[in-house]
Amino acid sequence: MFTLANKKSGLARGALGLALLLMATVAPANDQSRCAVDDRDREVCLHNAAQRIATLSPGATELTYAAGAGNQVVAVVSYSDYPPEAKQVASVGSHTRIDLEKLVGLAPDLVIGWVTGNPAEQLETLEALGMPVFYIEPRDMDGVASAIERLARLAGTEAAGQAVADNFRTTMNDLEERYRDREPVPTFYQVWDEPLMSVNDQHLIGQVVEICGGKNVFGEQARLVPRIDDEAVLAANPEAIIAGGMGEENRHWLTHWEQYSNLKAVAEDNLFFVPPSLIQRPTPRLMEGTQLLCEKLDIARQKRERS
Amino acid sequence: MSVLATRDLIIEVPGREGGTPLNIAIEPGQVWGVLGPNGAGKTTLLHTLAGLQAPRSGSVQLNDLALGQLRRRHVAQRLGLVFQDRQDGFPATVLETALIGRHPYLSPWQMEGADDYARAEGALERLDVAHLRNRLVSTLSGGERQRVAIATVLTQAPNVWLADEPTNHLDLHHQSAVMALMGEQAAQGQAVIMCLHDLNLAARWCDHVLLLYPNGEACWGPRDSMLVPSALESLYRQKLAVVEVDGAPVFVPIKG
Amino acid sequence: MLVRLGLPLSLLLLAALAALLLALGVGSAQISPAQIWDLLQGEGDALARTMVMELRLPRALSAFAVGGLLAVAGALMQVLLRNPLADPYVLGLSGGASIGALAAMLGGLGGLAISSSAFGGALFSTFLVFGLAHGSGGWTPSRLLLTGVVVAAGWGAVITLMLALSPAERLPGMLYWLMGDLSYSRTPWPPLLLLLATCVVLIPLGRSLNVLARGPQQAAALGVAVRPLEWCIYVAASLLTAAAVTTAGSIGFVGLVVPHMLRLLLGNDQRLILPACALAGGTLLVLADTLARTMIAPEQLPVGVITALLGVPTFLFLLYRSR
Repeated sequence: MFTLANKKSGLARGALGLALLLMATVAPANDQSRCAVDDRDREVCLHNAAQRIATLSPGATELTYAAGAGNQVVAVVSYSDYPPEAKQVASVGSHTRIDLEKLVGLAPDLVIGWVTGNPAEQLETLEALGMPVFYIEPRDMDGVASAIERLARLAGTEAAGQAVADNFRTTMNDLEERYRDREPVPTFYQVWDEPLMSVNDQHLIGQVVEICGGKNVFGEQARLVPRIDDEAVLAANPEAIIAGGMGEENRHWLTHWEQYSNLKAVAEDNLFFVPPSLIQRPTPRLMEGTQLLCEKLDIARQKRERS
Repeated sequence: MSVLATRDLIIEVPGREGGTPLNIAIEPGQVWGVLGPNGAGKTTLLHTLAGLQAPRSGSVQLNDLALGQLRRRHVAQRLGLVFQDRQDGFPATVLETALIGRHPYLSPWQMEGADDYARAEGALERLDVAHLRNRLVSTLSGGERQRVAIATVLTQAPNVWLADEPTNHLDLHHQSAVMALMGEQAAQGQAVIMCLHDLNLAARWCDHVLLLYPNGEACWGPRDSMLVPSALESLYRQKLAVVEVDGAPVFVPIKG
Repeated sequence: MLVRLGLPLSLLLLAALAALLLALGVGSAQISPAQIWDLLQGEGDALARTMVMELRLPRALSAFAVGGLLAVAGALMQVLLRNPLADPYVLGLSGGASIGALAAMLGGLGGLAISSSAFGGALFSTFLVFGLAHGSGGWTPSRLLLTGVVVAAGWGAVITLMLALSPAERLPGMLYWLMGDLSYSRTPWPPLLLLLATCVVLIPLGRSLNVLARGPQQAAALGVAVRPLEWCIYVAASLLTAAAVTTAGSIGFVGLVVPHMLRLLLGNDQRLILPACALAGGTLLVLADTLARTMIAPEQLPVGVITALLGVPTFLFLLYRSR
């Protein structure tokens, strides 16, 4: 910064003062205009940092809190259960059908929407009422980090958000370096049991499997979340089966596979449980989920060496 | 006063080759009876005369104008048809049913007026169903429904009455009453033509008779020249004996 | 006679206005009638104004229009098919509209595209049924009904297929549309104007409809142009139903139960029944929608569930009382 200690150049000081004055009048438009591009490639600009944020999906809630803007969240939707503080925030319905009235009544100045999960017409209505809507839908690890950064920018919490985003990138890179090139393990990740659903390689979870050196047996499927049947799983004969389950503790989806004693995963007892909220949401908790999944696949590898 | 006439009319009966072209004129004051066995086409004839069905050939004329060229409303104000089969439509009360007879006279935006109600009530009285005015038609007996149907046409007050077996379902008292009503209408200058399955009703109440044979042949004329046993026996393929009662012939089927 | 019409219609009009007032006042923030009056005149709190004028008013008016359209279409269908069990969807029209809407949703298209697609699907289905039902002698009500039922079943199968193949995250939106949903209707004026125009056009035809309802032969004998009138009813009912389904998805029960209830209470004069259906159907749907958005707020219920829960017991009660 300038040192104004030189009393001799009063002219310089005057010029500096004038320059600062000029900057002060010209700068505000740039300094206080916060812009970010959302995942629908639209630029959203706010005059001031958002102070009343509505997050219309559980993932968006987590990301906003991760960006350091938790105190600025005034509206969430159902199942916004992480972090625990979010449960105290007013709910405006489910992410598939929002109570627009209640939302409008909370007077948010920024709405975080979910491209494919929120009802388009309701969000169009919000925009027609003049509310800025910022759509997110992270499709890969970088997308998660970028979402945190952009949310932090809009909320004025750049410092905190940047730190979290950087930590996320670093951690995921480390995990990738450590596990990606190990012996591939044919893996089946079960999203749901009735109907039976898995993921392909483009899905975030599919990417997690890749990072952990697994080979998603349904990776080549066209749909992001393909619906399959038991036969397809038997035909693919994965070495490891990883399932979430309903709720955080339920393992009964895995016991379903035990009847197929010919499945490699059953023979080797590679039926692993990873809590779904750590891996099914595009949030920093993916770090934890990825770590867990990588460790499970490693267990499978170790069993190989033994046998 | 209106005259309903036919010109070389042959009615459309599926499967029937042809038939005698009909050239009849139903004049004001006349009561015509159409007689014939089942399947002769009596109902078809009546519907053709009413303009509801197209003939195979020939035409029907109302006051010397072809029926097909007249506006429906015009025809409905002059021709009234009592159907043989009740079509059960939507529920309605007896009074509402009688009132629809005024439809041809009312313009779309007009509501039924006191005069229309008076006519309907009068018609219901005449047919002895006024006490049932607020009952749903579907809850009535066959005979009561028949009388309501006739009352509807009476409300319509046409110049030409086309009645398809108007005495169906009616007990003796009401049978006579209805036939007397037809006679009354004729006396007041309307033209009446009825399909009857009861030969004796025709003998007592009609002044002209049309005989329809199953093969399409027909003959018509004043009652006395038509109601001869030989013609009737070949029409109904039934031997008949005839007696005279109260100035009119009565035909009785006999074995033989 | 005018009194006979005037009294029930006035009562229904009052009920309609009361329902609208209730819909404007009730929600996540209660707003009193006095405040509503201020807002309508342009004064009042900005937030309340947004809530009432931008959210509640269009929604309530749309609900009224859709309810009225469905009830009138149901009444017309019942006269056309001479069957008290007919409802506006019996000829497969809502299935066609659903397929249009779901296809647009699958394609990721937004609100206007979904509405246009639904309307197009409805019209396509109407013409398809009409064309298929055309026999050698024109069409009869039973032929039309049978064709419509079969086509509706066909659409149902296609809808099930679409639901089975759609990506998981699109499903809730599609299901909500199928269940009937007023949560995003923004412009109530098209369906509202259509409802008004239809009532005005149908009232002079009312007596002809009464006569037609007694049976087509009877009607023809009384001077009614039966085929043109039946055509006219078919087109009108289809147009009304298409507009309703386009605005709010397939909401059930209103088109079946409201005309029935009114007939039990008011008799069979279509000149009274048709405008009464418009008012009563609208009132019912406004009340149902208000309940749907407030009963378990902030969770939103599909309005079709509420119409069934409200309509069925009321109807059964009336039926019981009328014996």
